[in-house]
Amino acid sequence: MTTIKTKAKDGTPVEFVYKDPMQGGVKDVYFAPDKSYVVAFFRKNPDIAGQERIEKLVGQYRKGIFEQAGGEYWKKLFCWPEKIVEYDGKIGMTVPAYQSHFFFGKQTSLAGAEKEGKWFASAKNFNRFVPAEEKGTLLSYLRICLLLSRAVRRLHAAGLAHSDLSYKNCLVDPSGGNACIIDIDGLVVPGLYPPDVVGTPDFIAPEVVSTLHLPVGDPNRKLPKRETDQHALSVLVYMYLFHRHPLRGRKVHDQEPDIQERLEMGEKALFIEHPQDKSNRPNLRENDKVCLPWVDINKTPYTMYGPLLKGLFELAFITGLHAPAQRPMAGDWETALVKTCDMLQPCQNSQCVKKWFVFDNTTKPTCPYCGTPYKGVLPVLDFYSTRNGKDYKPDNHRLMVYNNQYLYQWHVDRTVFPDEKLKPEHSKPVGYFAFHQGKWIFINQTLPAMKNLSTGEVVPVGKSVDLTEGLQLLLSPEATGRIVNVKIVKND
Amino acid sequence: MRRLPIYILLDTSGSMRGEPIEAVKTGLRALLSSLSRDPYALETVYLSIITFDREAKVLVPLTELDGFTLPEIEPPETSPTNLGEALELLIRQYGKEVVKTTPEQKGDWLPFAVVMTDGAPSDTMLFKQMTAELKKHRFARIVACAAGPKAKVDPLREITKDVVSLDTMDSNSFAQFWQWVSTAVSQQSQTADSTQEDLPPPPNEINLVL
Repeated sequence: MTTIKTKAKDGTPVEFVYKDPMQGGVKDVYFAPDKSYVVAFFRKNPDIAGQERIEKLVGQYRKGIFEQAGGEYWKKLFCWPEKIVEYDGKIGMTVPAYQSHFFFGKQTSLAGAEKEGKWFASAKNFNRFVPAEEKGTLLSYLRICLLLSRAVRRLHAAGLAHSDLSYKNCLVDPSGGNACIIDIDGLVVPGLYPPDVVGTPDFIAPEVVSTLHLPVGDPNRKLPKRETDQHALSVLVYMYLFHRHPLRGRKVHDQEPDIQERLEMGEKALFIEHPQDKSNRPNLRENDKVCLPWVDINKTPYTMYGPLLKGLFELAFITGLHAPAQRPMAGDWETALVKTCDMLQPCQNSQCVKKWFVFDNTTKPTCPYCGTPYKGVLPVLDFYSTRNGKDYKPDNHRLMVYNNQYLYQWHVDRTVFPDEKLKPEHSKPVGYFAFHQGKWIFINQTLPAMKNLSTGEVVPVGKSVDLTEGLQLLLSPEATGRIVNVKIVKND
Repeated sequence: MRRLPIYILLDTSGSMRGEPIEAVKTGLRALLSSLSRDPYALETVYLSIITFDREAKVLVPLTELDGFTLPEIEPPETSPTNLGEALELLIRQYGKEVVKTTPEQKGDWLPFAVVMTDGAPSDTMLFKQMTAELKKHRFARIVACAAGPKAKVDPLREITKDVVSLDTMDSNSFAQFWQWVSTAVSQQSQTADSTQEDLPPPPNEINLVL
């Protein structure tokens, strides 16, 4: 054992086992003896500007995110460098070790391998190589996308851009619904430090790809910034939800491979599901059968996760693909994903690979993955709120009801949103739904003044109300309180 | 799905008998097992092994990484090193197996090839002819390895600019070499069709021939 004991630049002690490093793209990584953190040394020391950037990264920027109220929340979402270490002439950083849920379980065929995003973003890997117990459900993928969007939204809010968002730099854990952004040292502050990376092939924004051939410093060369992160985030969300790339279809632009890559990801980039221009539909080669149904866009169209995500995919890959200013912001994804989780319906087939599907607003809902139709009575709740105290308008937010579905304060009050700022008292359910004696009911647990608007009666805490077609409930009489309107879908 | 074809050309002439070939096999097994845990490689890599001694033969045609099993390799007692013939076979397999991109359809990714020899080509005429022919075929990269003290570097430089040498033919050198190849293949599987990427830095046992 060659354990080195030294001091970080801030004077605190640092230890690492100085042998057999793991080799990353630009860094050699050594574990601390207790494996609670790693020390990652640059193989080639960064230049002065680069050193200044990592100084700010572990100092000002880290403090700005982690040392404010609610800062603890972000520790799960970012693997953020903490200290600068210089040893043996080399510059490095300490970084917290990955949490154990980001490694495949010991009993699986991939025991000990990192759960890097690529395992789950590729249909072949997902269908064939990811162990069944690690596959997660549709809900877990929505949650992963939600966490990544939230993390990116936070970076952007601080004026930072990640510059290399990709499945390589995101660890995801579908079975537990966790996600974490790693390799943060390429972070850029637009206008302050020039980015030192262009990104990972599948994720580089078209305007960056099409100006890659220009020398650095050319005013026309486009560099990574917030808008390019927004493109990368949209690609990530699409890949985790559909296990395919949104732009890699069949279209051949040039037989020269490098030119093809530059056109397909750059100037000529075209959404594989573009509603009018169908020239870039996915290819179906013999060896693609293992990727079904994900290579078949008729079975798994971008519209399948409901109207909110559909709208954002259109902004990302149709309207905003070549118009960076129109791309969805990270926060748009976050909001749409939260609401989409409420639109999930459990599949009644216990063997279904995705376990959930998004209610498609039809009278005969059917699971798109396994084809199992929903049987029974299905209550659907639509939310309304008011801005002037009298007219209630739709919030474009719907909650599907199933056994043991919960209602939360963020459904009750339009100013509450389930993100990092959610108060602990708001994280507990205010009521729940159950199928009881042949009827769907809502049980009020904590709402002090919930009122059945159809009868005018108050529904006290501890009492239930039957969910019937057209029922209206005022969840809270506060100015920010919501009304729900109940719709019933019958499918016997 | 576009495949990334990997062709491995192995010298199985008499001098590889015994420890050297065992070390190569161990290295290849390690390569397979490390690529099998790499989500990029698992998605796209297809492997083929061509051996050459008195004659060149396709030991394993282009086969998906998952399910690839390494057959026995038994070098003959004494034999020449028909590298020219191996290149001829590589070119033939390339024509037969690799799906080309046409204006109508995307083909496979550009193939990656590894050539390993512990000597020098015996079929010099054919070798010369085939190195010229090989230039007409596009590869993402060809890495050639001169293994041990008797291996000649110069002929390999006719094949590719990426030539490395191993001072010794012990198991450690071979292990390091195949591990390095595995890193290079993994890197290739992540970079789409880019041919510009630098090779990963080689470990100490491997000398880059400049």
